[in-house]
This record gives sequence, C-alpha cells and structure tokens, in this order.
Amino acid sequence: MSDFVYYSGIPSFVVMLGIAMVAIVIFLVGMYLNMKKWGNGSASHFLSVFLKKINHEKYGHHPRQSLLSTIFLDIMLQRRILRRSPFRWVMHMLIFIGWIGMFVLSMVFAMFEMLHLVGIGNIDLNVTRNSLDFANEILGYMLLIGLIIAIVRRLAISDVSKRTQMFDWVLVLGTLVITITGFMAEGFRPDAITGAWTFLGANIELAQAFALFHVTISLLFCIAYIPYSKYMHMLAAPMVILVNGGGE
Amino acid sequence: MADEEKTMPEIPKGQPFIKTEMIDPIFMMQYDACTRCGECEKWCPALDAKDGDRKYSPMNKISRFREYMGRSYGLKAKLFGSKRLDEDDIQDFADAFFHCSTCGVCATVCEAGINTVDMYEATRQQLVMRGNGPYGKTVNFPKLIGEYRNPYLKQQSQRLDWIPDDVEIAEKADVAYFAGCTAGFNQQVLGVCTARVLNHLNVPFIYLGEEEWCCSSAIIRTGQPHKGDIPKITALHNVEALEAKGVKQVMFACAGCYRVATIDWPKQIGRKPNFEVVHVADLLAQLIQEGKIEWKKSFDNKIITYHDPCHLGRHCGVYETPRVVLDNLPGLKFVEMDRIKGLQRCCGAGGGVKAGIPDMALDIASERIRDAQAVKADILSSCCPFCRRNIGDGRDSVYDQVGSTNYDLRDNPDNEMQVEDMIVLVAELMGLSTKIKSQEEEEEKLDHLKDKV
Repeated sequence: MSDFVYYSGIPSFVVMLGIAMVAIVIFLVGMYLNMKKWGNGSASHFLSVFLKKINHEKYGHHPRQSLLSTIFLDIMLQRRILRRSPFRWVMHMLIFIGWIGMFVLSMVFAMFEMLHLVGIGNIDLNVTRNSLDFANEILGYMLLIGLIIAIVRRLAISDVSKRTQMFDWVLVLGTLVITITGFMAEGFRPDAITGAWTFLGANIELAQAFALFHVTISLLFCIAYIPYSKYMHMLAAPMVILVNGGGE
Repeated sequence: MADEEKTMPEIPKGQPFIKTEMIDPIFMMQYDACTRCGECEKWCPALDAKDGDRKYSPMNKISRFREYMGRSYGLKAKLFGSKRLDEDDIQDFADAFFHCSTCGVCATVCEAGINTVDMYEATRQQLVMRGNGPYGKTVNFPKLIGEYRNPYLKQQSQRLDWIPDDVEIAEKADVAYFAGCTAGFNQQVLGVCTARVLNHLNVPFIYLGEEEWCCSSAIIRTGQPHKGDIPKITALHNVEALEAKGVKQVMFACAGCYRVATIDWPKQIGRKPNFEVVHVADLLAQLIQEGKIEWKKSFDNKIITYHDPCHLGRHCGVYETPRVVLDNLPGLKFVEMDRIKGLQRCCGAGGGVKAGIPDMALDIASERIRDAQAVKADILSSCCPFCRRNIGDGRDSVYDQVGSTNYDLRDNPDNEMQVEDMIVLVAELMGLSTKIKSQEEEEEKLDHLKDKV
C-alpha cells in the first residue's frame, strides 16, 4: 500500500501537480482570451463592467432580486430550468451536482495530499480516501445517470436530436469518457484499507498508469478545455444570471 | 466570391473580422452562456412563421455569432490571425437576425437568463455598421425622425391637428399625455379617445404638442441608434421638455412609447427622469377598482380577449391592469387565449418587422388571430397601436382565406372579429365619441350640405 503515494494511484505527486499546472495555465489563457473578447479587446474593461453591473439599477418593472436569492434559487437550484422542464432539470442537476461535487472532493483530497507531503498534521491518506469513497461513489453515479439521460435524450427525442451539433456531443461524450474511466481507475486500484484487489486488476503498474491517464484527461478536459468549449456555459451562465438580476 | 476572397488582403494579426464595439461586454458574454437547451425554439414566433427553418432560431443565431467570434478572437485567431469569413454567410446571418420582432419570449424562457432583446439590438447595430442591415423601409427611420421628429413625414406644426374641439388640454397640470407619433398622426382615434377619457374622468393633462418628438423606438429596435445619435437627442429633448412643464406623471397609451420612456430614456440620458411613467391602463384599473367609473353603454354579451403587447407586458411587466379594465367592461365576457403574459405570442409587428419584412409580420399576426378564434373571441383587444394595426391586418388576411380554406368562419363569414385598442372600447362604453377630428368635420360638412338641400 505504501506504493500509493497519491490517492488516485499515481506514484509521483510531482507529475500530478505538473499536469494540473499545465491545465490551469491553459484554462487561464482561455479565460483571458474570452474576457478580452467580451470586453471589446480589453479583459479589464470586461471585468470592470461586470462588477459594476452586478448591482446596477434595472429599468422597467422587473426589480432586481437580492444577490443571495439569485445565487441560491437561480444558480444553485436552477429554477429557471425547473420551470421550463422538470425532466431536464433532473438531468441537469444530476450532472451539475455530480460534476461540481466530484471536483470539490478532488480538490479537498489534493489539499490533504499536499498537507501530507509537507508534513503538516498526521494525515493517513488511505483513511481519508476511504472516508470520501461513499460520497465519490454517489456523485459518480449521479453524473453517470445524468449523462446517460442526456445522451438518450439527444438520440431519442427527434427535436433535440435535430438541433444537436458536434459542439454538444463533444461535451456530453467527453464527460462520459471521464466518468467511465474514473470508475475503471477505481476498479483497477486496490482497496484503500484492506489492500484487496478489485475484480478489474491485480497489476499495480496498470492501476497506476490508468489512474494517471484518467487524471490527465480529467484535468485537460474538465479544466483546461472549459474556456474553449460548451463547458464555458458553466461559468458564463451563472455570471449572466448574476448581472441580469436573476428571477424566474 | 471565391476569386474575390483570394485577392482580398489578409486581415492583420490581432485585428478581428467582425468588430464588436457596439456590443456591451455583458451581451458578448451572453453569447457564451447559451446552454443550447432549445427552449427558445419552442416559443419563437419568427421560427413558427418561417415553418421551423432553423436559420431563424434564436439558439442557432446565438451559436452562429459565437462561432464568428471564435474565428475572430479565439486562440487560433490570436496565433495565426483572424479568419476571413464568407460575406454571403454573414449576410445570411444578418438576414436571420433582422427576421425577429425582438419580442423577447426567448429571454423569458432562457434557462441561462440571457437578455436577448438588448443583445439582439446591440448586435443589429454592429451589423448595420458593417453594412449588413437594416431591412426594407426601416433604413429611413433615422433620416425621417432626425429631420421631421416623426417617422410619418409630417411637420411638427401638425402635431396638434388630431385634437378635436371638445378636448380640453390644460396649460398646467400634474399629468402630461405623451401621445406619440402613431396616435398623433396615423391612428388618431387612439389619441382622441385617450384625451376624451382623461377629460371625462376629470384628469387634467398637458400635451407637449409641437414640443413632442418621436420616442425613437423604431431606430433603437432596428439597430440604428448610432446614426446621428437620434434616440439620445430625442430622449433628452422629451425628458427636458416634460420636466420643464413640472409634471409628476407622464401618461402613455402607446406600448412602444411606454417601453422607451420606462427603459430606454433612462439609458439614453444616464438617469431616471423626474416624473413617473404611467400607462393609461394603470389609471383606468385603479379608478375601476375604486368604483369611480360609470359606464353608459354595454356590449351585447360578447366575448373579449386580450393580447399582451410585448413592449408593455414582457418588457415592462404590465400584465394585470389591462385585464382589470377589460374584465370590467359591461356586456363582455373576458377570456384568455393560449400563450399569454410572459409567454405571450407576439403579434409580429415589433423590431422593425412590420416596416421591413411585412409578409412575416402578417404571418405571425395570423397565428395570433387563430389563437383568438380558438377561444371564440368576438373582440381581440390590446394596448398598442402597432399590435392593433398588425393584428387587424392579420385578421383581414385570415378572413380573405375563408373562401379557399376549411377555415371555421366559412359557416358564418359575417361574424368578423373586431380588433380594437382598449382605450377605444373604454371611450365607447363611457358613451364618448370615438370619432376623430376629420370624421367630425366630414360629418359637419355633410350635415351642412343636407341642410342646404
């Protein structure tokens, strides 16, 4: 078990950190280019307009609701989707909670890993990983179910199928690949506490290589790729809702 | 086109093919916020009128523009220069963009909360600056309004011509009536009825007369505000003229002017005017609820329905007061059509469509007539001269088809639906004359002639 320095099974945390840094840099460059595009050639112009407009007075008879209501009701609970289609809301919430939840748990564990590496606290990573396993499982299944609904919907409902473009498929299928490889990476890896191998593997090199593959494509697809793809709506839509004052 | 492209110089690195200086940064961001859920496609009246041709779908237009932006501002454009776009393709895109009444139902249903109306108007402006718009007669709006202060080629001195002798206009009052160009020149019955109703209700009001300038809605909606800065000039003029009169409220009976005064004037002049903007339906509803209106006439058990004007309803949130008024008119049973309030089906006149693409305006209006027929309405009422005119045209178009289709009215073609503005119905049931000045003068002449004979 001591061979597993990193929870996902990667022997070197430095490799992991390097890939993460590359992904973050690509993400930031993309975000900068987007903000520059939005701000008519100036990212700072965009930011200043955005910050100013979050609280600007709205003209007409649709008053701006409180920022907290907007964040909770419109961004977290996505009531605009619920109002239009409860079915699509369930699908979207499964993907949204699954994706965000797993992202947060990954960040939390990476933080524990860093604390462990620098020797702060007496952290047993295997115990920590095990304690997060259940939440990860639930979130992983939520994401998987949401994605399956999204794919079936795009294939089976004629209207949706007609308007689906590669732009949409890349996001759905890419996330599906990440989700499936995540389950496989877990399957290749021995149990955090008992060290028992699961049904997929009994080969530590394969488990490590697959974990590295999964984490690499996850970082590149789910972070670096955001500003260059349909993923951008994950950031732009909440920002738009904030600026436009929320509400149904 | 292909040969032309070969000879055209490359765009310098860092220079975009489509500029965006007229598009607010928030609107630019909105193009990236679209989740492509397709909800807008279910409701768009333009898409319906175009038999579902997805070129006209709001979602598709957003996707196309985002693609153009990607080619002009994306990573590849930064590294290798902006990609030249096919001009025919851009014109095709502009064509789709102007085939839209900017009704805003796509904004109501948008899951990402995109403010499509303002975003479309700003993008239209950018397209107009590029030479890819506007459409049809709408190109004349800036020149006409800039020169004549109205789009109907009338002299400002004619602004008072609609006022009949029996209408009293105060020298000083807390209320001003902003008639607008259409009620003042083109559909004078609306101005006349509003004035008579206000007089009858003892609401003294002033009128700017020659000092009233067009609200410039038509220029803003069609993406031409940069041409001479007319909307800003007219907004400043109107607001200052009204403020100089010391009024507390400005009353509107036109949904288009009301929208401009509520939303566009503050944007144009950078502050809220020092008066309250009120629609005449608000006043009437209040007086009805206070029991202060006495009806002199009654309809004979007819069914009435209400069409929410986009500019009054979806854009400004006035849904209830017109319903209160219509629901209280004697002898009428008020019923709702399919698609009302926030999800209302546009009449098709807005966004420069009536003037620029009249065929499409007519197709959309015909759909609204069918909605009214489905609830067996005898009267379809609204609070907007443009809805009144276009839905009236739509009704005529539908009724023209009676002989050639399986249309319900084949059995009773005389039972033609009445399309009328709320204020005209109110005036009629109050027992007031709905005749405009020229009709009265004509009648006087006839009477005079009869006397002679």
